[in-house]
Amino acid sequence: MKKLPQQSWIRALDSKFKICSKELTNFRICYKALMLLVCLCLLMAAWKSPINLSKLNKAKKAADLVAGTTHKISEEEEYYIGRAVAANILSQYRLWKNIALSRYLNLIGKALVLKSVRPEIFGGYHFALLDSAEANALSAPGGIIFLSRGIVEMAENEDELAAILAHEIQHIVSKDPLKAIKSQRLKSLGAFAAGEALGSSNEVLGIFKNSVLDITGTLLQKGYSRGQEKNADLGALKLLAATGYNPYALLSILKKCQAIEKKKAKAFSAHPSASNRMNYVRDALKRVSASDMRIRCIRFKKSVPR
Amino acid sequence: MKKKIFLLIFLAMVAFLLAGKSLFVQVLRSQLLAKPDFLSRSLASLSKGARLELIETQGSWYLVKNSNGLKGYVHRSAVIKSKSTLSGAIPYKKGASDQELALAAKGFNEGNEKKLRGGREYDFAAVDWVLDQGVPPAAVAAFVREGKLK
Repeated sequence: MKKLPQQSWIRALDSKFKICSKELTNFRICYKALMLLVCLCLLMAAWKSPINLSKLNKAKKAADLVAGTTHKISEEEEYYIGRAVAANILSQYRLWKNIALSRYLNLIGKALVLKSVRPEIFGGYHFALLDSAEANALSAPGGIIFLSRGIVEMAENEDELAAILAHEIQHIVSKDPLKAIKSQRLKSLGAFAAGEALGSSNEVLGIFKNSVLDITGTLLQKGYSRGQEKNADLGALKLLAATGYNPYALLSILKKCQAIEKKKAKAFSAHPSASNRMNYVRDALKRVSASDMRIRCIRFKKSVPR
Repeated sequence: MKKKIFLLIFLAMVAFLLAGKSLFVQVLRSQLLAKPDFLSRSLASLSKGARLELIETQGSWYLVKNSNGLKGYVHRSAVIKSKSTLSGAIPYKKGASDQELALAAKGFNEGNEKKLRGGREYDFAAVDWVLDQGVPPAAVAAFVREGKLK
């Protein structure tokens, strides 16, 4: 075997080492890049994963409960509590089953809803009539809105009916009926749901029943706060304008309410005084323009019995 | 070699970022619409829990793709980003966990409504009559046109 001279042996080893070192460097880069890719994918997957979101939600819920937070009512729960509120109202007031008028009311209401900031709710919006001479309008959670025969007879055109409905839709959009539920009930429900406290099915049913009574009590007797009514009025003006109805119709319907109030009839018992509402409505109307409502008068006369 | 790896990483990241986020229908019934307008043509019906792939956001509307690959618009109020926050109907869902069942039973739901039915203080038959008086979207569209509304 031919022996390499020492110098050339060292040179050969050196060149072989360089090749190895180059391959090793390449391998390290590959390995690092692969690990980086895996980490990035894992991070993105974790960020996008609904499972992770659910875990985060649960963790937040648990943390909130420690701080005494309430049960957050979902869209579906709003629908079921709304059904019960409506059922309770309909046990006290007779439903006016006028199919043609109900359809007309639903068409006006749906046209308005499409321009609201909350057009889609769990069970959709529904508009119904109560066979009552009282001039009143009520909105149950989840989108069931009632107008009494008295208030329908008070309206002189479609735009005035739309103004009443727009006001009630705004209460649903702001979830005002749900705000009537006493916070303690939702705290207890939250504690039961998270297993922080033991709640029997009867206790939960009790909370459900009492929450319904909280809302019907507010709708039929106590009324919303002045702030909630003002927001509903101002929101209604915007909604009327966005839909193409004449926003001035709200002012004209309030004038009619004021006239009834002066006669001391039982009207809008759950609302602040009409004259008070007219003040800020007049002010807000300076910023909107009127629209021609004559075209809608024919169908109003056809649809609303006099 | 290095260039190939970095290209691969870049492509993987782009593909991942371009992949749509999931949305879930949170209302009982909704429509996949041809345009971001409630009065536009309906392409498909959507029911609660349906998964949609978000393609683009346009104001209050989402451009989405449904499970059949149909692209259309859905209003943001009809969908939710996490299915875990959908509640209530979970008890009737196949394969619901015990924990899900327990959570759903402790809210305002159909189960508790059933317990109120039959009581003198609640007239659910009248409520069901009210809910049956719906008007189809086509009738609303015609009503809007005839009344010179927007």
